[in-house]
Amino acid sequence: MMNPDAVEENQEEGNILVWLTGLAFLAAMVAIFIYVPTEQTEGVVQRVMYFHVPSAWLSFFAFFIVFICSILFLWKKEREWDIYAHASAEIGVIFCSLVLITGPIWARPIWGAWWVWDARLTSTLILWIIYVAYLMLRTQSDAGSMRARYAAVLGIVGFLNIPFIHFSVLWWRTFHPPPKVITNEGIGKGMDPTMLATLGISLCAFTLLYFLLMGVRVRQEKLKDEIDRLKREKLYSA
Amino acid sequence: MNLFLNQITAIVWKDFVTELKTRELFSAMFIFALLVILIFIFSVNLSVVKASEVGPGILWVAFLFSGTIGLNRSFMLEQENGCLMGLMLVPADRTVIYFGKLISNFIFLSIMELFILPLFMIFFNIDILEHLLPLLFVIFLGTLGFCALGTLLSSLASNLKSRDIMLPILLYPLLVPIVIAVVRMTGQILNGEPLSGMMNWIGLTASFDIIYIGVSIMTIDHILEE
Repeated sequence: MMNPDAVEENQEEGNILVWLTGLAFLAAMVAIFIYVPTEQTEGVVQRVMYFHVPSAWLSFFAFFIVFICSILFLWKKEREWDIYAHASAEIGVIFCSLVLITGPIWARPIWGAWWVWDARLTSTLILWIIYVAYLMLRTQSDAGSMRARYAAVLGIVGFLNIPFIHFSVLWWRTFHPPPKVITNEGIGKGMDPTMLATLGISLCAFTLLYFLLMGVRVRQEKLKDEIDRLKREKLYSA
Repeated sequence: MNLFLNQITAIVWKDFVTELKTRELFSAMFIFALLVILIFIFSVNLSVVKASEVGPGILWVAFLFSGTIGLNRSFMLEQENGCLMGLMLVPADRTVIYFGKLISNFIFLSIMELFILPLFMIFFNIDILEHLLPLLFVIFLGTLGFCALGTLLSSLASNLKSRDIMLPILLYPLLVPIVIAVVRMTGQILNGEPLSGMMNWIGLTASFDIIYIGVSIMTIDHILEE
């Protein structure tokens, strides 16, 4: 049962988060389109990086949260963790799709091809399929303990697959630019400071967006549970 | 330990007796694998492409597709007449069911692969006899990984609404690393390279096998639960 005070408190926290996320995105937009200079060789299309990289980071982060919540669910068997895992998987799939969309937009003028079978493109695509299958699995069984348990097992199995995918496609072939932000020379040496700052702001904005979406989705799912409970109580018991 | 092994043997034996009585699974898997190879031969022009380059991929696609039929059957068969319930009522650990199913799936698939290999050799004109031992080793590793993950997911998929569709959707993306690894290794072996030159792939496949058997032991309790 939800406490009315707690709901109100949540609402307030949610409002602050909305404002924070909005401001962060405003700052990110200013930084991306006004502040940061255009890249010399790649031109204006390079600005898509400030969406591409944060989306990729966000989807990995979301899938990691799915993994953690799945373990916690199997351990504690509390519905709470199942909701978190579900919400996080949905957000992860959305941002993984964004990565797969912004990637080709960037690749076409630079590499001359929409898609190449490079290590990171391939692994992102496989990752996307794994978590789409995860969401499909959730629609394939009725709500309840079984769905939560199965999804949790897949959440764990799927995340453990990531290192295997990474190494297998890396040894298979790779063209992708090597990591720029964290290189052998240290953090942030491979990039212009203004670009690094813009990327940082964009990363913050996207991370805030994750928590905002997460909060909305979790609240929605909890309300759904509440409605189901009320229905069972008031409608069918009479 | 002894009791554990006896229980596993009992499950494997049960699957074998069922198969010997009906003989439907094995023949279906074999014919299906053969068909997959045939269709690929029609779709690839072997006079242009080198057989040893496309051969390994085709061979493994045939193994995986027909293996999926076996996996689909392995728990679906138990759903009929509530046999799975019977298995779960047995006073034994859930891992016994997992290992029993894993071993019987593995043996069925291995037998099928042994029948396919000579046909593969004839159709593609590839002499596999001189590299037989490393090839069998790679097939062993790949099949074990396929069955380890496949048995876990098949126990899960058998309770879903559209189970025979969901198993490949869940299973294939997770199998990508192992497919890349075994196809690479098979190709290199058929080109006469020694196993010592592909230790990274062997390590990847072996750790895949070990990790997924471990994960299955830890999670099978949560899948087979009523």
